[in-house]
Amino acid sequence: MSSLKSMSALHGIVSPGRYGKQDGEPGVVASERRDIGLATIAARKGHEADLTAAVKAAYGAVLPSGPGSAVGPGVRFIGIGPGQWFAVSETLANEALADDLAERLKGLASVADHSSGRAIIRLEGPEVRAVLAKGLALDLDPRVFGDGAAATSTIGHMGALLWRDGEAYDIALFRSVGGSFWGWLRSAAAAFGLEVVTTS
Amino acid sequence: MRITCPYCGERALDEFTYRGDATVKRPDSLDENTAEAWVDYVYLRDNPAGPHKELWHHGAGCHAWLEVTRDTVTHEILDVAFARKGC
Ligand SMILES: [Zn+2]
Repeated sequence: MSSLKSMSALHGIVSPGRYGKQDGEPGVVASERRDIGLATIAARKGHEADLTAAVKAAYGAVLPSGPGSAVGPGVRFIGIGPGQWFAVSETLANEALADDLAERLKGLASVADHSSGRAIIRLEGPEVRAVLAKGLALDLDPRVFGDGAAATSTIGHMGALLWRDGEAYDIALFRSVGGSFWGWLRSAAAAFGLEVVTTS
Repeated sequence: MRITCPYCGERALDEFTYRGDATVKRPDSLDENTAEAWVDYVYLRDNPAGPHKELWHHGAGCHAWLEVTRDTVTHEILDVAFARKGC
């Protein structure tokens, strides 16, 4: 089987550099998390408890029952709906994560690879919440949206899964809207200064 | 109008799609003598002024089907539960 080349969802759309307000520290720093494993997990009917036990044994994380994260060595599990999770891994890159999950959770869950279907944009900096507030109708105050919190919603009318990893906000988008999201982000962050860096 | 999804929490109306009356019941049988029950199920709806059970789909959120109790006079949301029982 021929292997497919991993390409950035923002290839030819976004270049590293400073956008919007030029002086002072940037209000937002954006990067794309590339070559990471992404997969969805849906519990098979009647196997929710077995699935939770299997994930705990295999990955050292207790699947969250709501929109939040559980982090085990190398894999983050994010609740995206009743009986459904989104898994993210840097150590099990690209489709290796879905392959690993499908093997270890055989019979308990349906696993789908999303590593080539989504773009993960990481936003950091002192003005991230002010920028996201322009397109996301959710309260991101740290008192209610702490480390690991997650939400499936829309940003600038584009479907998005958002989660907090420390002080960073990671956003999973369908990669086909990567260009549109960039257009939105560039406008929304212009007043604060936006620095685009690459991670890989 | 806001709907408090039992999974996601309080969300704006535009994340949801109205999917109809939650009180109708699909007939089990396809026998000819159930034709009237089918007409009732497919076409006939009550038009209550007051609390009403409705199906809503959280399409921009968790994708769950919800049973929303809404007052059709005031639009007040009285209750929201998963349409699928036991989750
Ligand atoms: Zn929801």
